[in-house]
Amino acid sequence: MGYDLHFGWTGAIGKVILGATRSDGGTRKISYQVGGGTTLPLLDQDPLSSSPLVALEICDNPEYWSPIVRNFCGDLVDSVDDWAKTAETVYGADLVRLYLTSTRQRNFSDIKSVGKTLETVLSGTALPLIIEGSNDPKIDSEIFLKCGETAEGERLLLGTAEAGRYRSIAAAALAYNHSLIAQSPIDVNLAKQLNILLREIGVQRDHILIDPYTGALGYGFEYSYSAMERIWFSALKGDTDLAMPMICSAIDSLTIKEVREAEPALQDDMAMQWEFYTGIAAAAAGSEIVCVRHPKTVGMLKKAFASIKTAAGSTEVKK
Amino acid sequence: MALKALDIYKLLPKKNCKECGDPTCLTFAMKLAGGKADVDLCPYLDDQAKSVLGATTRPPIQRVNIGVGERSFAVGEEFVLYRHDKTFYHPPGILFKVSDTQTPEEITTITIRVRDESFTRIGTELRFNGIAIENTSGSADAFARAVMTVEESADLPLVLISKNTEALIAALVQVGSYKPLLHAATKENFRELCALAKKHSCPLAIKAHGLDDLKGLVKDCVTEGVKKLVMDISPQSPGDFIATSTAIRQLAITRQSPDLGYPVFLDATHPYLQDAAIALGIVKYASVIITPPLSPASAKAALTLRQNIYTDPQKPIQMNPGLYRVGSPGKDAPVLMTVNFSLTFFTLQGYLESTRIPCFMLIVDTEGLSVMTAVAAGKLNETLVRDSIKKFDLEHEVSHKTLIIPGYSAPLSGRIEEATGWKVMVGPRDAAEIGEYLHEEWQKQKS
Ligand code: B12
Ligand code: SF4
Repeated sequence: MGYDLHFGWTGAIGKVILGATRSDGGTRKISYQVGGGTTLPLLDQDPLSSSPLVALEICDNPEYWSPIVRNFCGDLVDSVDDWAKTAETVYGADLVRLYLTSTRQRNFSDIKSVGKTLETVLSGTALPLIIEGSNDPKIDSEIFLKCGETAEGERLLLGTAEAGRYRSIAAAALAYNHSLIAQSPIDVNLAKQLNILLREIGVQRDHILIDPYTGALGYGFEYSYSAMERIWFSALKGDTDLAMPMICSAIDSLTIKEVREAEPALQDDMAMQWEFYTGIAAAAAGSEIVCVRHPKTVGMLKKAFASIKTAAGSTEVKK
Repeated sequence: MALKALDIYKLLPKKNCKECGDPTCLTFAMKLAGGKADVDLCPYLDDQAKSVLGATTRPPIQRVNIGVGERSFAVGEEFVLYRHDKTFYHPPGILFKVSDTQTPEEITTITIRVRDESFTRIGTELRFNGIAIENTSGSADAFARAVMTVEESADLPLVLISKNTEALIAALVQVGSYKPLLHAATKENFRELCALAKKHSCPLAIKAHGLDDLKGLVKDCVTEGVKKLVMDISPQSPGDFIATSTAIRQLAITRQSPDLGYPVFLDATHPYLQDAAIALGIVKYASVIITPPLSPASAKAALTLRQNIYTDPQKPIQMNPGLYRVGSPGKDAPVLMTVNFSLTFFTLQGYLESTRIPCFMLIVDTEGLSVMTAVAAGKLNETLVRDSIKKFDLEHEVSHKTLIIPGYSAPLSGRIEEATGWKVMVGPRDAAEIGEYLHEEWQKQKS
């Protein structure tokens, strides 16, 4: 007697397509379909269901970036297209997530440069891209439209929409057919509300990824972990306003005490393990894209996800 | 399916003799119904009642204790699939593995590391739990010697791993009374191992692959009279582990397969997937995890993940609000205000201790929320600060009226000044900068 791991659930996680290849009108070498799960995270035995993806986070102004990554990468961080390229060719990331940190300078207004940056990154790597726009509502609209337009046809994932701040990004996503990240602070109901708001202004479900906000390991991760499990579980039980795939980025991992104050010789290792343990646990809770900043974490996570996926199919725990 | 308290009561002897530790048979019945007591506690139950009650009233996952003394630990007795449904109760024991082919020095070093290493987070000491000794050599003598080497340096819970029953017997001569976990009973040797486990009252690991074989072996061992079992599900990969372990947890807590209601054992040994296996083990229901010694970074990450996942989601770890002292502060010492979320408290306290400036910490009751969360939720406000100053009699404790507040609560500074009449200084956002701040700003305003 085997056992069915579907436990009687009827709902499924929705699907979202990221990146467009030439045949779809873009220039990416691959496109991903995330979502589609019908049982608990990582348990789907369907060989076509996706394994979690790993995104390397980079930025266009390293002043705003972790010194640990800056030390590890050296000059690379001064050239965002090369950085993007190594994400693909050296570290083996599935996606590149570009933070437009240059826009964080006071009174930033050089919108054109944002378009240029995006162009160089698009030519630096052939991976699908996630773009994090400004931090400042005043320039959101221009920045998101610029990104949307520059990468038209590429099926970007644009970030980040929040409850008080989603119109500009939604407008850019709608105008140029990109998807977007909807972030809410660790709360199932807030996540749902935001998705409803987005739907009301026309963003389709299959263009939304939920970011339930990830507290760093030891600094609130347990709340995020449970929020993710609850979101996934609600989707399986049929709540379509929560049935979007999830993305997680534990951005505080490199600034928390244990990592920041690690002995210099151990610091890279500490950063990687902190990101790695968080990433594995987040994937087990339902995150389908795990974002990290230390380049070396990418390979570790990819190997681990591959081992989970290949083997889930071979277990005897089947119908 | 679970029985109701009254149904259970009908099967009890109704002597109200208190020998079970409960005042009446009825209260005992209520405990049994909640899965909080063991039928064996009542000495007067007849076998029939016992067998009816045994399967339905014990916790859906059997509790198993490993080791004796201070470092012994309990696993099992879990009730939910998701931590948010209630909480997870018994964090997995993580034990470092040594082999009897290692030198005594190597074995001793690892043992002492597990004995002494601890990592304090949020006021709790996080440690690894014990040593698993593997009989790689195949020799009973070598195994017994390795076990003695471990035993000579520490009283830690042990797992004895051997395919050779003679080796286990030899080791048990030394450590049989310390309740080590024996690993492992299989289809082939379960009778011998059950006899050993019974003789020494040790918990026993069974090893099989696949739910049917596991169930079969559990039944065999229970028939032999051994109930303190853990199941080595011998996964072929991390993916196999999570699928099998999840199925077991689900089947056990719903009592669909009571025979699977035992804690899960995981050997995380793997050339490069060890950390993945440990992380998955922690989040997905492993109760005993053995692993080669971890690097310092993996060690901290693993222990922190375990602490996070096994924190009760209904009550974040909180401090009692009040006035706390760092060092022996005088009446002119600075007063730093913060919230009663224990993580915040211990983080700030750690940095304050290293500044070596004696001071007061005024902990206000934000119901366990961190600074930023409390500000966002409106829990941290001027009224709370005013009332706390009064309640903890700050006016008499210090000779000044200056309060340092966290950087993230800066928007409240004006309102706090108005409500309290105290001068407010906005500290840095990051507690790591508090030393510098006190040396510069506090000294400046004093002079
Ligand atoms: C875990 C978490 C939660 C948990 C609660 C955890 C808890 N016990 O507080 C939950 C899930 C319940 C939660 C809920 C909410 N949260 Co919340 N949460 C977090 C998260 C991820 C981590 C918080 C944490 O533990 N920090 C660690 C502790 C140690 O930090 P801390 O207390 O601030 O202390 C530091 C400093 O302040 C300083 N310090 C502390 N005391 C003092 C004193 C002095 C004198 C000085 C100088 C310095 C100092 O030192 C410490 C270390 O540097 C943060 C994101 C983040 N990165 O902070 C969001 C975050 C704080 N939450 C946020 C929000 C909006 C909320 C909600 C309002 C949302 C909602 N669901 O309605 C609710 C409010 C709660 C409620 N009751 O309704 C926002 C706040 C936005 C803002 N800036 O205003 C954040 C920033 C997330 C985000 N980016 O959206 N949250
Ligand atoms: S020991 Fe048995 S008979 Fe005595 S009070 Fe308890 S349940 Fe009743």
